[in-house]
Amino acid sequence: MKHAEIAVIGGGPAGLMAALAAAEMGAKVTLVDRNSRLGGQLVKQTHKFFGSEKEYASIRGIDIGRILATEVHKNPNIETMLNSTVVAYYPDDGVLGIEVEEKKWVKMKAERIVVATGASEKYLLFENNDLPGIYGAGAVQTLMNEHGVVPGKNVLMVGAGNIGLIVSYQLMQAGVNVKAIIDAAPSIGGYWVHASKVARLGVPILTSYTVKAAYPNEMTGALERAVIWRVDDRWQPVPGTEKVFNVDVMCIAVGLSPLAELLWQAGCKMMYVPELGGHVPVRNDNMETTVSGIYVAGDVAGVEEASSAMMEGRLAGLSAAKSLGYDDGTYEEKKAEALKELENLRSGPVGGKIRKGLAQLAS
Amino acid sequence: MKSKTVICRCEDVTLEEIEELMEKGYTSMDEIKRITRCGMGQCQGRTCRTLLLAELAKAVKTHPAEIKITTFRPPAKNIKMSVILGGIDNEQNG
Amino acid sequence: MLATNGIPTAEELAPRIPPAERLKKGPVAIIECFQKIPCNPCSTACKTGAIEKFEDINDLPSVDLEKCTGCGLCISKCPGLAIFVVDETYSEMEAAVSLPFEFLPLPAEGEEVDVLDRSGKTVGRGKVIRVRNGKYEDRTPVVTVAVPKELSMVVRNIRVGGDRR
Repeated sequence: MKHAEIAVIGGGPAGLMAALAAAEMGAKVTLVDRNSRLGGQLVKQTHKFFGSEKEYASIRGIDIGRILATEVHKNPNIETMLNSTVVAYYPDDGVLGIEVEEKKWVKMKAERIVVATGASEKYLLFENNDLPGIYGAGAVQTLMNEHGVVPGKNVLMVGAGNIGLIVSYQLMQAGVNVKAIIDAAPSIGGYWVHASKVARLGVPILTSYTVKAAYPNEMTGALERAVIWRVDDRWQPVPGTEKVFNVDVMCIAVGLSPLAELLWQAGCKMMYVPELGGHVPVRNDNMETTVSGIYVAGDVAGVEEASSAMMEGRLAGLSAAKSLGYDDGTYEEKKAEALKELENLRSGPVGGKIRKGLAQLAS
Repeated sequence: MKSKTVICRCEDVTLEEIEELMEKGYTSMDEIKRITRCGMGQCQGRTCRTLLLAELAKAVKTHPAEIKITTFRPPAKNIKMSVILGGIDNEQNG
Repeated sequence: MLATNGIPTAEELAPRIPPAERLKKGPVAIIECFQKIPCNPCSTACKTGAIEKFEDINDLPSVDLEKCTGCGLCISKCPGLAIFVVDETYSEMEAAVSLPFEFLPLPAEGEEVDVLDRSGKTVGRGKVIRVRNGKYEDRTPVVTVAVPKELSMVVRNIRVGGDRR
C-alpha cells in the first residue's frame, strides 16, 4: 500500500495548480494523471488565454501547460504518477485503486484527496448520430493538435460556445473548411471575440438551428450529408426550415459534464445544477466536499473556464495542506486572494450563469 | 442501411429501444440499464448518462434532478482482470 | 449582429471608431472588444498608458486617443485578436491596417493579397507593407496592409494566395 499526504487526481489546470499550491505550503503531494504527460486539456489549447496575469493571460494554453508541468516536475514536494488512472475510491477505508500503465494495480491511502478529474463531452441525439465522421470537439482537437491529423475536408460545427468557436478556428488554421457553425440557442454562447475571429474567415454562424439528421455515403457508410433545421423559441424544430450541408465531418461541441465517478463512489453529496454542467459536488468555500478530506477543483466541480479552474485548484491545494497543519502564517491571505480572484473572474455578465449555478449549490 | 439514433454507443442501444421500454413503464435508470446494458460498456455511461437522464425526465415529465442516478461502483473504467489478479505481486514489485 | 453571427453592426461598431480628426493625426489602435469578459492583457501590454488600467477585470478597454501612438504592441497580446491599428495618413490614397494573422503561409512584404471585411467577404486587394513575427508576437504575427483609404474601417482580414475554400 502506497501512502500519500495529499493525492491530487488529474493533472490538468486545476490539478496542477492544486499540487503546486499544496507543495508551496509544505505538504507532500502525489499527483496522479492517466496521460503520459501533464497538462490535461491544456496540451491541445493553441489559443492565447483570457483572464489576468495570475492565470497566465495572453499565453497559449499549451505553453501554460508546459510552464505548470515544469514547475511540478522540479518541485521536490511533488511526486508524479503518469499513465495512472484512479478507477476506485473505497469509502470503507478511504483507499484509492489505481491502474498503472494498464498492467499494475496500486492501492494508495491518502490523508487528503483533491479530485480534479475534469469533464467529458456531451452528445446529441439525432438520426444516424453514430456515423463515422461524427466527432466530439475534444476528439478533433486531440487528433489535430496532438497528433497532427485533420479529421476531414468539410465540417459542420454543432455548438457556438467557446469550444465550438475555438475548434472551428483551429480547423480553418489547419486548412479544413468549416461550412457553418450552428447552435440551438438564439444567441452565441461563446465569447464574441472568438465568434468574430471565425466570422472574418467567412464562416457563417447560424443560431436557433439544430441537427435533424446525418446521412452516410452509400459506398463507405461514412458521413456525407448533414441536415439542420431551425428551432422555435420553445426549442421545437420547425419543419420546412431544413438546410443541407455536404460535409464529411460533423463536430459536436454542445457542452461538457463533470467526470465525477470517484465523488459518487465516495458518497459525496451531489446536486444536479444544469448551469454547472450536470451533477456537481456540494462543497464549502475551501472546495471541500461533504466527505471530509475530499476536495474538488476545476470542471469536475462545475464546468467553467480554465482560468477559474486554476484558481479553484489553488484554493483546494492550499486548504488541503492547511487542514494537515501546513501553514506558515500565509494561508488566510493566500486563500482570500484566490477567493477574490475567483470572484473577479465570475463577476461580469458572462459569469452570470456560473454565479446562478453556484448560488443553487450553496442553497 | 436502416437509420437509427444511438443513445449508448458502447452497447449499441438506440433511442427507439429506450422509448419502447419507457412506454412499457420502465422509467428508472436502473431498470433500463439492467434490461439494455445502457451505460455498462467501455465508457461506463460517460456519453449516454446525460442523454438517458434527459429522455427519462421528459417521459415522466419531471426535472432531471428528480431522476435517480444508477450506483457508481469501482472500477470507473474497464480494466483487465490480469491487472487485479496479479495485484499482490504487482504491489510488491511496484 | 455580434450576439447572433459574430459580426458587429454599424451601431455596435460606432463607439469604437475614433473621430476623423484623430484619424488624420496618424496611427491609432481600434479595439473591437464589445463584451465584458474577464480579460485584461491589453491594458498591461500598452507602454504609453493609452489603454487605461482596469478597475474590474471585466471592464471593456478604452483607448486614450491622445496617448495612443498606434505602435501596435497590443495587437498580438489580445487573446481575442480584436485589436487593429489603422493609419489613415499612410499615403494620399491609402490607409495602412495592421491586423493579427495566425495563418500559413504568411504573406511576404510587398505581396498583394485579398483584403476581407468582418464577415470574411473579399472587398478588394491590398499590398503587404510589413510583417511582424518576432518573439514578442509569440506566434500571432501582425500584418500591416495598405488598402484604399475608404476601406480603412472595413478591412479586418487578409487572404494569402487566393481563395482555397
